[in-house]
Amino acid sequence: MTNSRRAGSVAAVAVFLAAVFVAIPLAIAATGRTDLYYTLSSVALLAIASGGVWLTFYIGRINIGQGAWALVGGYASAVLVTTYGWSFWLSLPVAGLFCALMSMLVGLPILRLRGVYFSMVTLVLTEVARLTALALPITNGARGITSIPTPGAIRLFGVTLVPGFETFANRNAPFYFLSAAMMTLCFAGLWRLVHSRLGRLFAAMRQNEELASSMGVNVPLLRVVAYAISSFLGGIGGAIFVAIAQSIYPSSFTINDSVNFMLNCFLGGLGFVFGPMLGTLVLYFGWDLLFQTGQYQLLIYSGVMILLMLVLPNGLLSLRWPSRGRP
Amino acid sequence: MEQVIANGLYLGAQYALIALGLTLIFALMNVLNFAHGQMYVLGGFVVYEVYGLMKLPFVVALIAAAATLAVLGAVLERFLFRTVIRRSEREESTMLLAAGVAYFLDAAILLIFGEKQRGVRKIVNGVFMWDNLILPWDRILVAGLAIAFIVAFILMMQYTKPGRAMRAMAQDRTAAQLMGVPVAFYGLVGFALGAMLAGLVGGLLVTITGVNSGIGGPISIKAFMMVMIGGAGVVGGAIAGGFILGMLESVGLTVLHSYGDVTYLVIFIAMMIFLAIRPNGLMGKPWG
Amino acid sequence: MTSHSTVRAGLFGLASLIALAAAAPADAANPVLKVGFVGVTSGPAAAWGTSNVRSMQTLAEWWNSQGGVKIGDKTYDIDVVTFDDQKDPKRAIAGMEKMAQEGIHYVVGPNVDDGAAAVRPVAEKAGIIYFPYAFPKELYTKPASNAVLGMVASYQSGPAIYKYLKEKKGVKSVAFVAANESDPLSQRDSGVAAAKALGLTVVADKDTYQNDTRDFTPVLTPIVKLNPDLLVLSGVAPANAPLLIRSARELGFKGLISTETAQDAKVLEEGAGELANGFISVGGASTPAIRSKAMEEFIARYTKKFGEYNDESNTKVYALQYIIDTLKADPKAIDSVDEFKKTIDGFSAANPYLKDESAKLHYVGDTSFGQKRQLAVPLVVNEYKDGKFETLFVANVD
Repeated sequence: MTNSRRAGSVAAVAVFLAAVFVAIPLAIAATGRTDLYYTLSSVALLAIASGGVWLTFYIGRINIGQGAWALVGGYASAVLVTTYGWSFWLSLPVAGLFCALMSMLVGLPILRLRGVYFSMVTLVLTEVARLTALALPITNGARGITSIPTPGAIRLFGVTLVPGFETFANRNAPFYFLSAAMMTLCFAGLWRLVHSRLGRLFAAMRQNEELASSMGVNVPLLRVVAYAISSFLGGIGGAIFVAIAQSIYPSSFTINDSVNFMLNCFLGGLGFVFGPMLGTLVLYFGWDLLFQTGQYQLLIYSGVMILLMLVLPNGLLSLRWPSRGRP
Repeated sequence: MEQVIANGLYLGAQYALIALGLTLIFALMNVLNFAHGQMYVLGGFVVYEVYGLMKLPFVVALIAAAATLAVLGAVLERFLFRTVIRRSEREESTMLLAAGVAYFLDAAILLIFGEKQRGVRKIVNGVFMWDNLILPWDRILVAGLAIAFIVAFILMMQYTKPGRAMRAMAQDRTAAQLMGVPVAFYGLVGFALGAMLAGLVGGLLVTITGVNSGIGGPISIKAFMMVMIGGAGVVGGAIAGGFILGMLESVGLTVLHSYGDVTYLVIFIAMMIFLAIRPNGLMGKPWG
Repeated sequence: MTSHSTVRAGLFGLASLIALAAAAPADAANPVLKVGFVGVTSGPAAAWGTSNVRSMQTLAEWWNSQGGVKIGDKTYDIDVVTFDDQKDPKRAIAGMEKMAQEGIHYVVGPNVDDGAAAVRPVAEKAGIIYFPYAFPKELYTKPASNAVLGMVASYQSGPAIYKYLKEKKGVKSVAFVAANESDPLSQRDSGVAAAKALGLTVVADKDTYQNDTRDFTPVLTPIVKLNPDLLVLSGVAPANAPLLIRSARELGFKGLISTETAQDAKVLEEGAGELANGFISVGGASTPAIRSKAMEEFIARYTKKFGEYNDESNTKVYALQYIIDTLKADPKAIDSVDEFKKTIDGFSAANPYLKDESAKLHYVGDTSFGQKRQLAVPLVVNEYKDGKFETLFVANVD
C-alpha cells in the first residue's frame, strides 16, 4: 500500500468516526430529532448482521439465513438475562459465541451445498429457528420473553465505566453509541480479516473451492470458520436489538429479515467490505424517510430500489470505483 | 389413508405447476425469481376480475391471466433483467432486482385490488365420494388441468423448436449461442413463459383457495422449497419437488398429527437433512 | 463508510425530504390534533391494519367536514398520522419513535403481540397511550400502564361463546386449530383452558398450520375424522377463515365452526359461499339489529371513500372515538397522558354506534387486568348467513 493511499484510508476512517460519534449526535441535538437515535441504532445493528452475510458471500455462499442467528442470539441473551440473572454485558459475547458454536454444528453439513441450494437451505433454517423458538419451553414459546431489563452499569474496581442505561434521560442515546461502537468494531474486524492471510484464502475459495483444496487449503474447516464468524455477527446484532425492544418473540426475526440482510449486501456492493453498511443505511432508512407517503410508501420504495439496480447493478459503492472492484 | 394420498396428489399437481415456471426462468437466465409468487397473485386477480366480476367464462379469464403475465414477463426481461445481467459483475445481483420487482408488484397489487381476501364462484359444483374418499369435483378438475398444462409444457420442451432451443440454452448457454441459437430472444420467451405459468396456476387456484394481495412472498418461498427438493433448473426436478412437497405436507400432517405443534418443524428439518445428503436435490444440476 | 457514500446518503435524504414536503397536508383553519397509527398495512396481514387506518381516516374526515371536534374551548381538526410497521416489531419501535417525535400522545395499534410488546418501552418513556389489538395480559396489568386494549380479548369472548354453544346448541366436544404464530397460539391456549373449565371435551388442541397455507384440506383431514361438535379457528386471519371453513365442510364436517376474532362478511361470501353459513365470529357494532343511524352513516362514508366496507371496522371504529371523547371529558389530557389515565377510571359517554341509547362508552378491564385498560366494545357474537352477519347474542366485558 502506498503512502498516499494509506493517508487516504486514515482520512476516510477519521471522517467516518467523526460523523458517527460527533456529527450525528450533534445534529440530533441541534434538530431535536431524537427518534433518529433509534433508527440509526437499527441501521448499525442490522448492518452488523448484514456484515456477517457479506462474509458468507465472500466465500461464495448466498446466505438467506442470518435471521435465524439474530433470533438465536437474541434469545440467548434474553434467556441469560431474565432466567439466569446475568448482566447484559456478559450475555452479549456469550450470545454471539453460542451462535458461532451452533452455526458450526449446522454449518458442517449444509456448507457442502452451493449456490441456490445453500440459499434455500438457509432460508428454511430461518423458519426452523422460528418454529424451534415457538416449541421450546426455555424460550417461553408463543408468549415470548418480555419485560427484559435494560443494560446495567459496568463497574471495574469500583469505577463506573458505563453507567446503567436506565439512568439516561433518553434511553436511545446510549443504545446508539453502543450500536455504533459495535458496528465500528465489527467492520474493522471484518476489514482486517479480509486483508489477512485467512481473507485471501476465503477469496480463493470463492473463486474455486476445488482448486483451493488441491493447494492444501482445508476448505471444509475454513468454510465453517467463516460461517461461524458470520453467525457470531448475526447473534450480536440480534442480542442488542432485544435489549432495545426489551422483548423478544419467535417472530422478532423472520424470513423477511433474512432476505433483507442479503439485499443490504447486494445494494451496498458485494465487492466492498463496507457495502453492507451503506446498503443497510439506504434500505432501512429509506423506508423510514418515506413514511409520510402513506399508502404509496412501498411502491416508491421498491421503485427506487429497481432504479438503483438498473443504474448501479454492482452496488452503490461501485459508483466511484468502476474498475478496481475489490475492497 | 386414501384421502391423505388424494390430498397429496392434488396439492402436488398444483405445486409442480408453480415450481415449473420458477425453474424455467432459473434454468435459462440463472435468475432466482423472487417475484414468482407475486405473478401468481396477479394471475389470480385477473381471473377474479374477468371471471368473478365481469362474469365472463372461466376459460376466457384463464387466457386473459396467461396473456397478461406473459406480457409482463417479457417486459420485465427486456427492460430490467436483461440490462442488469449484462451490466453486473456477479449474476446473483439479479436477486436484488427480483426482490425489488416483487415488492413493487406487491405494492401495485395492494393499491389496485385492495387488502381483502378474494374468491370467485365455483367452476363446477358437487363432490365426488367413493368409499372413504371425499373430493370436490372442482378440485379434481383443477388438478386435471394442472397436469394437462404440465404435460403440454413437457411436450413443448421436447418436441418443438423453441423447446429444444431452450433446453440447449439451459444446458450450456455459450454453446447454444455458438450453435446459432438466438439466446437473447429465447431468454425473453422463457421469461414470458415462466411468468405465464405462474399466472396460469394463480388463475386456476383462485377458484379453490381465492387470492389476496399479501400471499405472493410466501408462495415464492414455497416454490423455492419445491425447486430445492427436486433440483434446480431441471423440469423433472420441479415436478418431482412439487409432488414430494405436496405428499410431505399431506402425509406429514396426518402422520405427525399426534406431535401437534412441531409438525412443520419436523418437516423442515427433514428437508435440511435430505439436502445435506443430496446437495443438488433429487436431480438438479450443480450450481455454484 | 467514506465521504462519497455519505454524500450519496445525503442526496437520498434530500430526495426523500422533497417527497415529504409534497405529501404534507393542506393547512386548515382549525388547530390540528394529531392521532397516530402504528400497525401493518402491507404484506399478508395488511387487512388488519388497513381496516384500522381506514376507520380512523373516515371518522376524522367526517368530523373535520363538520367543522372539527370541540375539546375544551378549542375546536380541532383531526389528522391521522400513519406508520406501516410491516408486522415487524423492529419497525413498530421506529414507528412509535416517529409518533413521539411528532408530539403525538395517542396511538392506535400495533396489531400483533410482538409489536405491542416491543413499543412498550418507547411509549412509556415518551408519554404515549397506545391501543393495541394484541392480547398478552402483561401489556395491560401493572406495572404497565400505557396500553389500552382496543377490543374484546379472546380469553373474554371465548368462554362466553363456548358457554352459549354448550347450553343452546348442545356442544360437548371441541377441536382447536391455529396458525403456528404467537398470537393465534396464545389465543388457542386460552381457548383450550376456557373450554376445559366449562367441562367440554377437548379432542384436538395441538394442530397447527403455517400461516401461508393456501389449501387446508391436509391440515383438517385428521381433525374432521375426530368429529368434534365445535371447531374453533383460534386467532384466524380474515383471509384464511373462508379457506378453512370451505375445506372443513368439503371434507364432510357437520359440526359448528367459530372464532374469537372479527371477520368480514364479503370475504366469507366470496371464499366459502353458503358453506360459511352458521359460522360464528365476534364483531363490534356489526348487525343492523343493533347498530345506530350514526354507524350506518359511518359505513356509508367508509364505503364512499374506499369503495368497499370492511366488517372488521365495526370493532375498529371505536378506538378513535374513545380517544376523542376522553379528551373531551378532560381537555388537559391533550398534552398529558397522566390526566388521561386519571380520567379513564370515571369516564362515561354515550355510545353513538349502538341503537340502544343507554349503551355507554367506558373503560373496563378490572377483572382481567386489575386496572381499567380496555375499551368497552360490545361483545357481539354473530352468525354468518347468506352474505350477512346476524346477531346471536350481545354481552358485556367487565
